[in-house]
Amino acid sequence: MKKVLLRDIAFSRSGDKGDVCNVGIMAKSKNIYNFLVKNLTPGKIKEHYKGMIKGNVEIYPMPNIDCIEVVLRRSLGGGATCTLRFDQTGKSMCTAMLRMEMEVDESLVKEAKKTDKEIQKKYGS
Amino acid sequence: MKSVKIGSGSAFWGDIFEPALEMAQRSDVQYIGFDHLAELTMALLNRMKSKNPEAGYIPDIIPWMKTLLPVTMPKGIKMITDAGGANPIQGALEVKKIAKSLNLDGMKIGVVYGDDILPDLDRLRKDGWKFKNLDTGEEDLDSIRKDIIAANAYIGADLITKELNNGADVVITGRASDNALYVGPLMHEFGWDFSDKYVDKVGAAVTVGHIIECAACVTGGMSNMWKVSKRPWEIGFPIAEVYENGDAVITKTPGSGGIVNEWTVKEHLIYEVMDPSNYMMPDGIADFTSLKLKEEGPDRVRVTGMRGKKRPDTLKVCIGYRNGFIGEGSAFFPWPDALEKAKWADKWVRERFKRLGIKFEDFRIDYIGVNMLHGEAAPIEDKDYNEVGIRIVGRTKTYDEADAVRREATHLWTMGPVGVSFGVPLTVRPVVALWPSLVPRDAVKVESQLMEV
Repeated sequence: MKKVLLRDIAFSRSGDKGDVCNVGIMAKSKNIYNFLVKNLTPGKIKEHYKGMIKGNVEIYPMPNIDCIEVVLRRSLGGGATCTLRFDQTGKSMCTAMLRMEMEVDESLVKEAKKTDKEIQKKYGS
Repeated sequence: MKSVKIGSGSAFWGDIFEPALEMAQRSDVQYIGFDHLAELTMALLNRMKSKNPEAGYIPDIIPWMKTLLPVTMPKGIKMITDAGGANPIQGALEVKKIAKSLNLDGMKIGVVYGDDILPDLDRLRKDGWKFKNLDTGEEDLDSIRKDIIAANAYIGADLITKELNNGADVVITGRASDNALYVGPLMHEFGWDFSDKYVDKVGAAVTVGHIIECAACVTGGMSNMWKVSKRPWEIGFPIAEVYENGDAVITKTPGSGGIVNEWTVKEHLIYEVMDPSNYMMPDGIADFTSLKLKEEGPDRVRVTGMRGKKRPDTLKVCIGYRNGFIGEGSAFFPWPDALEKAKWADKWVRERFKRLGIKFEDFRIDYIGVNMLHGEAAPIEDKDYNEVGIRIVGRTKTYDEADAVRREATHLWTMGPVGVSFGVPLTVRPVVALWPSLVPRDAVKVESQLMEV
């Protein structure tokens, strides 16, 4: 087992709908997706954001594309037009999620690194 | 198999212009959709219209149409835009004027309106409809009724399709759903309707609309692929090649910068979505959990297996209401002891506000460079920072109190610790809060007309 940050094994992107922030997580492999579906819980996520989320956390798996949709209710200080947060539309909430520490099997870390390398090789100049 | 090419030319009011022009010039798209409206925009446009009855549309439509029409008309590219905002008919009249000056005689402009339900709000409430707040669960509008300044339903593709069937070269709408700007042309081209027979096809159109409607956001903008996006300063906007069987290929303007790959499509499929198996739009409910993605070449991703469910009986409605004022200010502190200086300033302004007796509805202090973005989720490092800023922001009932927040922040500039630096002061901004709700579809009387140049 190895201690990693979520950023090592997944990508993410977030946005807003009113006072709801959604954080989409893209696993860097199928096995990582399976691990995350089992291990990411609403309780863990709420705790991770340390009081920023006043409402419920909902998790929606998307096995067809190895992604997980996380919905954070009442998490944007009243929504884009009212909030006092600088990041009015919650765009940076996704990378805050990536700070989460987790213990994963070494093989998953290898798979993530392989994906990172493939992306660089396939699309990088 | 018949296919249709549709691109996205704008994702918000203020978006960059060249990608739309380059798409029109270099690609063989048949349609380009333009979204200019954010949740707050309608309230802003309403205010413009209340000051001048000939305003209230997105003013960008004038320079954009002047440049685009000479390219799109000869090529037969049709444009669908929600730039009508709070005054679609006036917006259309302006486009007509431009077309006339460009000698585009015979050009047809479809106008779709009726999304403004503010005049009907009280009647609908009297009839027993409750505008429940979808965010907070509050049942009753009474607490905000006197402050309401806008109420717009997100209308669907019905009449966009109708005006395209009537031969419109340009369709201008009020607050149509961004999504409908893309669903409309696809339904028009393929002859899809809202019957059970086409639910998956319309679901595919809704999904394709979602993937491309935020323009740069699927071609390397706001992307996890930012390091490998090619010439991002020449970013191309997305184009969907949609097939009659409901499959699609997502690509972008030939020769443009940016990137389209399975990751950029994925990151948009998960963007601003709640339950991905019920992505609810006025024209249908798309299920994003059945589709498959396959990269079939550079900047080409095939999407298959898209599904849908019947459109809902209600439309989303955004009610905007006045909710006080926000005052904000900042100051910046250099090494050494930058964070300590920021904490000193934190205490200083709080004591000042106490002394002045300001009542806050909401108040917040951020340390810029430390926790302004990730808030409580950001660990504060124990180090001597090069520089730290302080951001002071408060929401108040009155303008004067919000102005005091701004003013006290500027006083830090002369009374703060040594080295304090400052920039341009901000102005107080009035707050328009949003009350998201639903309205029965049949209560919204959407209308359209065709103007000929």
